[in-house]
Order: sequence, then C-alpha cells, then structure tokens
Amino acid sequence: MPHDRDPAPGSLAPLSAPVFQILLALVDDDLHGYAIIQDIAARTGGEVRLTASTLYAAVKRLLDAGWIEELTERPRAERDDPRRRYYRITRLGRDAARAEARRVERLAAMARAKRLLPPLRPSSAPKGP
Amino acid sequence: MSAPRTPAAVRAYRALLALLLPPRFRGDFADEMALVFADLHAEATRTRGCRGGLRVLAAELPGLLALALRERRAERAERAHSTTAVPEDKDMLESLLQDLRFAGRSLRRSPGFAAVAVLTLALGVGANTAIFSVVNGVLLTPLALREPDRLVALGEGAEGGAPTDFSTTSPGSFFDWQRQATRLRLAGFTGSEATLTGRGEPERLVGVSTIGGLFEVLGVPPLLGRPIARADEDPSAERVVVLSHGAWRRLFGGDRGALGRTITLNGTPRTVVGVMPASFRFPDGTTEFWAPSRFEPDFRANRDQYFIQVVGRLAPGVSVEAARAEMATIAERLRRDWPLYNGDLRIVVRPLQETVVEGVRTRLFVVMGAVAFVLLITCANLGNLLLARASVRRREIAIRQALGAGRGRVVRQLLTESLLLALVGGAAGLLVGKLFLQVLLAAQATTNLPRADEIGLDPRVLLFTLGVSVVAGLAFGSLPAWQLARGRSTEALREGARGSAGHQWARSALVVSELALAMVLLTGAGLLLRSFALLQRVDPGFPADHILTFDVALRDRNATFFPASVERIAALPGVRSAALVSQLPITGRGIGAWFNRLDRPLPPGVKPTGEVYRVVSPEYFATLGLPLKRGRLLTAGDRRERPAVVINEALAKRYYPGEEPLGKEIYLGAPDNRLFDRGTIVGVVGNTRDDGLGREPLPTVYIPLAVMPDWPFFSYVVRTAGAPGPVAAAAREAIRALDPNLPVRNVRTLDAVLAESVAPARWSTTLLGVFAAIALLMAGLGVFGVLSFAVTQRTRELGIRIALGAAPASVQRMVVGQGLGLVGAGLALGLVGAFALTRLMASMLYGVAPTDPVTYAAVGAVLVAIAVVASYLPARRATRVDPIIALRAD
Repeated sequence: MPHDRDPAPGSLAPLSAPVFQILLALVDDDLHGYAIIQDIAARTGGEVRLTASTLYAAVKRLLDAGWIEELTERPRAERDDPRRRYYRITRLGRDAARAEARRVERLAAMARAKRLLPPLRPSSAPKGP
Repeated sequence: MSAPRTPAAVRAYRALLALLLPPRFRGDFADEMALVFADLHAEATRTRGCRGGLRVLAAELPGLLALALRERRAERAERAHSTTAVPEDKDMLESLLQDLRFAGRSLRRSPGFAAVAVLTLALGVGANTAIFSVVNGVLLTPLALREPDRLVALGEGAEGGAPTDFSTTSPGSFFDWQRQATRLRLAGFTGSEATLTGRGEPERLVGVSTIGGLFEVLGVPPLLGRPIARADEDPSAERVVVLSHGAWRRLFGGDRGALGRTITLNGTPRTVVGVMPASFRFPDGTTEFWAPSRFEPDFRANRDQYFIQVVGRLAPGVSVEAARAEMATIAERLRRDWPLYNGDLRIVVRPLQETVVEGVRTRLFVVMGAVAFVLLITCANLGNLLLARASVRRREIAIRQALGAGRGRVVRQLLTESLLLALVGGAAGLLVGKLFLQVLLAAQATTNLPRADEIGLDPRVLLFTLGVSVVAGLAFGSLPAWQLARGRSTEALREGARGSAGHQWARSALVVSELALAMVLLTGAGLLLRSFALLQRVDPGFPADHILTFDVALRDRNATFFPASVERIAALPGVRSAALVSQLPITGRGIGAWFNRLDRPLPPGVKPTGEVYRVVSPEYFATLGLPLKRGRLLTAGDRRERPAVVINEALAKRYYPGEEPLGKEIYLGAPDNRLFDRGTIVGVVGNTRDDGLGREPLPTVYIPLAVMPDWPFFSYVVRTAGAPGPVAAAAREAIRALDPNLPVRNVRTLDAVLAESVAPARWSTTLLGVFAAIALLMAGLGVFGVLSFAVTQRTRELGIRIALGAAPASVQRMVVGQGLGLVGAGLALGLVGAFALTRLMASMLYGVAPTDPVTYAAVGAVLVAIAVVASYLPARRATRVDPIIALRAD
C-alpha cells in the first residue's frame, strides 16, 4: 500500500512497493490496470500481487502527483474493452523511479561497506580459496 | 447493471465499491476497478477453481477498506474547504448511516413497540438458533475423521430387506471382504468393555476392539504416541492400548509421561502407546480406549458369530456406487462358497455419516420444521405490528413524501428500520438460543442423540442466526414498507391520524396465515402427544415398579460368582426376590443365534433365522412378574446335562402355530457351533417388548444360567418390598463382599429403564409441545391485535350503530364473528397444510394415523377457543363505545 506522503525525488525516504512496481511496469510500455498487475506478478515471481484496490489507490496518487498520465488515444483499441484505460509514465515519474532505484543501490552499497552483504564481483567467480 | 453471467463475486465487489467508496473516487475509478477485479477473478477461477475466486475477493477487502477510509477523509476535507458542494445524496454509505440513525431515533420514540418486537423476535430466533445448533452438531458437521465423506459403513443385509436393515458380520466373512475388496480398504471394530483395576476403585471403561487395522482406515493421527497398527493384532504381539483424550486426562491428569506406562484392563496389563485428540470420537463420544483384537487362527475363520462392525475408506476416485458394485460381486462369490452361512448374503454399503445419525434425522427435521414455523409466525406477527404502526405513521411518511422524499428512499428507510429491529432481535435471539440450548443439554434431552457432545454454538450457527434475522427483517418489513410507499400522500394528509382501513386486508391475511401455521404446528404436537400417551399406556409385559437393577461384568471365568451373589442379594432385608438376566427387557434386541427345530430340520443350504435369546437365573420370571402361559418355569433342578428352555408367546406363535410347543426339542447356533446340543421347551411365558414399547414383541428363547455357566455379564433384577432406592447400597455391599474388584454399574430402577426407552419420543413431544404453545400464543395475540385495531378504526361506525339503537350484544357478536371468520379461514388453510405435512412424521407416531380425526378436531376446538378469547376483549370495548364521543372523535 502506498504511503500517505510520496517522497520528493532524491530523498532517502522509500517509495512504497506498489508505487515503485507500477512505475517499473510502465517504464517500457503503456499498460492498462490488469496488465500492470500481471507484469508485476511475473517480474517478482508472484511475490508482489496487487489487488484492484491497492492498484487504484496507488494509481490515484500517481496521477495526482503527475508521475503517470492517462493515455487519450488507445494503443490497441481494436482488440480491447473500450472501458479500459491505459497509463503512461511521465518524465517526472521516470525520475522518481530512477531516484528510488538509486536509493536502493546506495543502501546496498552502505550494507556492503559494513560487510553485511558480500562485495560485488565482476563475474560470478567461485567462492573459496 | 450486471449481465446475467457476471459471477457473484464480481457483483459483490461492485456492490462494495458502490457502498464504500466516496462519490468522486467512485466516479473516477470504480468501473475500471471492477473491470480489473473481474480479470483477476477470472484468472483465479481458471487456475484454482471456485475457491480461488473467493480468495481473490477476500484479498481485496483490507486494501479496499483502507482505500475507502483514506479517500473518504480526503474528500470530506476537500468539501470542507471548497465552496462547490459535492453532491452528497449519491453516497450510499452516508445515506445508510443516516437511515440507521433515523431508524434508531424512531424506534427509541416508541419503546413499547420496539420492546415487543425485539422480544417476539428473540423468542423466534432463539428457538431456531438452539434447534439449529442441535441439527448442525448432529447432522451437518462432518465426522471428525480424515476425509469423512470417503468413509462408508458396511454390513450384512437380508435378501429383500430394507436398506436400513443393517447388521454386523462374522470374522470369517470380514476377512474375506477385506482380502477381496480393491476399491475400498476395510477395517472392523466391536464394542468392548473392560474393568480397569490397580488405580483406586475398580471402574468399567467403554472401549473398542480394533480389527484389521481400524486406525489406518480412519486416518486420524494421535495426539501423542502412535495409533494401533495391524501388527498389534497378532496373538504374540505386546498388549497395547490407545486412550481417548478424556480417559488420558482422567487417569493420568493429562501427563505426557503416560506413554509407555501400563494399565490393567480385565486383569491384563497393557502398555499405553497412544492418546487420541479430543475431537476423535469413534464410534462415539463414550469410547475411552481402543485395543487391538487378537483372534486365534480358528476364530478368524468363524462364520456364525456376528459381532464385527465394518467401516471402509473408498480409494481415490471410487464412488459409493462403485464400491457397492464390487461388494455385490464379493457377496455373490461368498454365497456360492459358503451356502450354509452366506446363502442369502447381501452386503450393504452406506456413507458412514448416514449410519451414525440413523433414526434421528426425521425427528430432528420435524423439530427444525416446527421452529421454522414458529419463526414464520413471529414474522407474521411482527409484520402485523409494523402495519399497525405504519397506519399511525402514514401522516409522517406523507409529509416526508410531500417534502420531496422519493418512494425508493421511503421504502429504504422503512426497511432499514425493520432490519435494525431484526438485528437487535437476532442478537437477543442468540442469547435466548444459548440459554435454551443450555436448558436442552442440562435436561439431558439430547443425551439420546448421537454426537450429542458435539452440539454447540459454532460459527455456522452464528451465521445461521444472522441470516435468519436478516431474512426475517426483510420478510416482515417489506409488506408495510410497500404499503406505505404506495399510498397517496394527499389522501393520508386528509385522513388525519385515524389511519385508513386500506390495509386491513393485509393484516387479516397475516393473521390467517399465522393461524394456519399454528394449526399445522398444533396438529403435529397433538399427534405426538396422543401417540406418546398411547405409548405410555402400552403394557411392557410385566409390572416395572419396585424393581432395582444394576449390571456386573466378570473379568474372568467364575461359574459360581453370579449364583452366589444373587442368593446373597435375595436374602437382603427389604428384598422379595432377585434374579439375573443377560439383558434387561425393553433395552433392545441384544444377542441372538440361529433358531433350529430338531423335529423339523431345514433342508440343506437354507439358512435358519436368528432369534433373540436371554440367559436367566430360574427366579427371573417370578421376580420380573412375567406370567407363565403354558408348561412350567425353570427351576434349580434344570441342569446343564438336560437343558430345558422357556420360550415366549411370540416365538411359539412364529414357530409352532397351532402346535404344542411343549416337549419339542431345539438348538441355537450353527450346526457345528451350538450354544447347547438339544434343549427341550418346558414352558411358554408372556411377551416383553424388548425392541421398544412401540414395537412388536420379539420371539425370545430363555436359557437357564446352568446351561451357560460362563456367561460373563448380567443385569440383576431385584424386586423390593418398599422403595427400591435404599436397597441399592446393601446390594452393592453384597457384591463387594464377594469380589471387591468388581464395579457395579447402571444402578437404577426398572421404571427409569422404561422411561428412558421412550426418551426420544418424549424429547420430540416436549419440544413440539413448547413450540406449539408459543405458536398458539402468538396467533392469539395476532387475532387480538387485528380485532382491537379494527374496533378502533370502526369507532365512528359502531357509535352510529349504537346511537341508532343496536343492542350491545349484537355489536359484540359482530366483532367476535369477525374473529371467528379469521379463524375459519386459518383453520381451512391449516387443515390442508397439516394434511400434507404430518405425513412426514408418520414414522414418529405410534398407534395414531397422521390424519387422526380426534387430534384434528381437538386442535380446531383449541384454536376456535383462543380466537373467541382473543376477540372478546375488543368486542367488549366495541359495546362500550359512547356514540357522542365516537362521532366527535378525530
């Protein structure tokens, strides 16, 4: 479920999982609601399964924030239910998603520095001497 | 809005969206959300079936609630800050809350009405809740076994016998069935009581002997340790026992260290290897231990001792029908292989749950039907109350309509009121039901039900109560709501507060249906009452007063104990005489054996009929007061070497019609396994109704104790000079003096045994009687209410009549006549209903036809009497109408 306040890009406060996942889903394609849910489920191996209610709670907030927008033309109108609406990620949304990914990356780097995670290796070399 | 093929879950989700979401968000997103949900639902249904669909709906709820709350708060905040109003009346939740608040206020304004309505409803819903709990626990809850719907019971049925004709089988047959069956896995068991010694007072435990791997078929894992395995049945295996949860708590205080300890049952130490969970009740809740049977090889082949009850687990994918077909093939084979024993074998296969609740189904459904009627009458009564209230409120409604309230809005408001009433009444009904159930259980009214210990208020019962309340609310609320909303407002405003006679017909119709329902219920109760009275008047065949009885079972063979003990007891002060019998009269069929006439042997290959026998001490007949009809009674001189037997009249009638049975020789059992070689019939005694007072006497052979000296279990029959109670302690002492390790059980009077035998009939009669009384009361109130109301409405007319010189008596007659008219219509309808419905209870009746004219006439008279009483008060009021006041009224 998205948090009540969405963070400003660049802050270390995290985006909620549904919000981030929806943005990711829209990065390379404009999708309608059900397709977003399917894309997320497939990408996370079923770990993140949005319900209709959580999806649209997030969609409303994303629309309000201007991170996504509704498409006026229909990309696949001929084989689709005309009631479906398609969403596209905006520049602002792309920035936010990128910022979130960077944030996670930075956090992971901090964890590595403390040896909580093993150091990054160029390739998956076998461990041990 | 919904296409006919829209799944219910999708419609439910849409309804939730409409109900919960605030208007703006709903306008923006609800359609799309419903669309996405439909996709999700379709996917889940495709991959995981119907359950998957429901799970998707359930998964939506938390998110939807959170979303609705947040968006609602946001929109409200926005409304507060903006000047443009968001249209509020489109919000269903808001208007529902408003309706509820209004309903609450309006009910608080008339507390008398609300109290009567809630109390009536509490009574109706409470009775339903209590009885449904019983039905739920006994009939609806699946047996607490693994996959209980795959379990079947098997038994032997006679050729052409009813499907319920179901009996045990012999070891030889059982092992044949078990070996040959492939579509189901069989196991057997038999009841086995044992005396527990070595832990304080000796006590008798009720248990089960498992045969052929019972636990493997039932498939319930033990709470502790291990279940009994087939290997435990080997005669050389260690002797083990598995305890019930109750026995474990009682004997070992719930100590896990009980595993591996030994207890002594029937003098044999057994190691406790397992404890079953509390939910495991097989074959019923009284069972305290399970021990493996150990059959010696020759006993495994025995084919004339019928004592094994068989259960089976269907293999995956096998239907009961398929199992039946296979068992029929096996039966055919056995008929060929063992013509003497299995010449007419038929193997009956039935779902296990069906056999467990055998015989109570009809009784429970009739009682459930009766409470449902009570509820219908409750609804009719409340509908009437609401109608009365409605005519008073017409003005209020008319004003609201005149001010612009739509018809739908008014109906919704009125329905909300009745639903609120119903829910409050339902909550009160739950309490009443709980109380009622406690009374039922405390009065041990249900102890004669199978699975009585599984009765309680569970979620299903709660759901039932909620459902019943809501349906009741809609049922009694819809008529007045419709009536009110239909009315034209100008008319109502003009009429003033008097209300109109417009829906008098509706109230009359309700009262007529109440009366009809009451008539049906009363008829049912009347029939049961009459048959119960007849049953009580049945002569059991002996005088049952002043007889004390108790049971003693020996642990090991001791041919002298029983004769010695009965002699001691007979010598006690206050005792007239004492005797032994292997099974008390009126307590069921008991043990039987093949009956063979030596003077007329059956042709080879024909299986003899099994008949009941009782082992008795010679004084039994005199002590019980069983009359001698011919010949002589047994004496102490009848020894084992020259067996003499006594038969009852029923047996003489069946086997020796028109013949002299005295002096004829017989034997009992199979040719190669006889109870005694040849016995001579020396006397014929009167019948006892051992299969129940309502059943025909069973043909019975009485065998002297001297012929079967090793019989291990007897009931004592002690005729006392005074009250039987005080003798009990002395008798117990006499047994203890002979053997301090023998428990004395079931000490009671024979009168109590007799009363217990009719307990099921008493149970249904009492319940139906109570419900019929409630129905009668409510119907009477209904008649009273309608007539009072009619008199009030006709005040002006009555006043004019009186002013013009009508005699008070004629006015009174007119009102009472109106009441009788209602009763007449109710009686006619009820008669039809009773005719149709009492048929269903034919199996519960004794000596009375479902169409018994006496009962119908009596019930009709009672209803007419009630109607006259109920109309009398309003009629009297009618005659007291003062013309002047009446004309000035309004």
